[in-house]
Amino acid sequence: MNTEQILNEIREANLSYLLLAQNMIRSDREQALYRLGLSEEVAAMVAGLTTAQVLKIAASNMLMCSFRFDDRLVWSLLGSESREKASDVAGVHAAILMSGRNASRAAVAA
Amino acid sequence: MAKRGRSIVDEGREIQRAIELIKLGARLQVLETEIHLSRERLLRLYKEIQGKSPPKGMLPFSTDWFMTWQPNIHSSLFMGIYQYLDKSSELEEIDVITKAYQLYLEQAGACGMETVLSLTRAWRLVKFFDAGMLTTTGCKQCGGHFVVHSYDLTDSYVCGLCHIPSRAGKTVASRAGLAAAAIGAS
Repeated sequence: MNTEQILNEIREANLSYLLLAQNMIRSDREQALYRLGLSEEVAAMVAGLTTAQVLKIAASNMLMCSFRFDDRLVWSLLGSESREKASDVAGVHAAILMSGRNASRAAVAA
Repeated sequence: MAKRGRSIVDEGREIQRAIELIKLGARLQVLETEIHLSRERLLRLYKEIQGKSPPKGMLPFSTDWFMTWQPNIHSSLFMGIYQYLDKSSELEEIDVITKAYQLYLEQAGACGMETVLSLTRAWRLVKFFDAGMLTTTGCKQCGGHFVVHSYDLTDSYVCGLCHIPSRAGKTVASRAGLAAAAIGAS
């Protein structure tokens, strides 16, 4: 993948991420905060961006979204192949850890 | 319970709330506590949406249910979501419960688990937290937050997912399902 392609992909990803975030925040702010892992202030800023601003921000050489979890356990649980597909215990375990991490981060932000 | 001289807009919002709760499976007792509408109107709403009379009888009242293996996982998941929403927003408690419950249903569905925690149970869970009877504690192995009794000793708490008990998840219902599948296969 050459630089040109990478920049194009980044712009595409940024654009769809920002538009999705805006739609989510506008339709249900509280659930969007949980899903996106954003603070109230950032959410308000994102929701307030005009289309022109979104396009401009998207055309950056950096991704506007980043990996949310820096916890090895979360990634290994999410990536693990569960023995019984009827009940994905590892998936639930990861979900509990993820919701907990969010909560502590929100507490720090508040 | 209904106050006099409330605006129609307020009433409309209460009805909207009640509809959402009934759709999610709330029992009448939940509605009576949380929604400022007369009992008759709640009953009519319930029948209109569910197409049947609300179940009678008392609500489940034991905190022990939340400690058994599978319910504990589900309630810990719900509580994680609830506490996140509660901290990051300024909604009224009942709205936080509704939104958190919707997210819980999504997550349980994504993990392919049946929904063990009903909305009424989830509501009770929050009330038990408010009353200080239940709380969450961090698992010493994975660091996740799990529902425990407030006065449990939790210095060396290890959650049911890091240390899965041998008979975990082997309920009567799941065994019946397996047996049915075996018969179907043979």
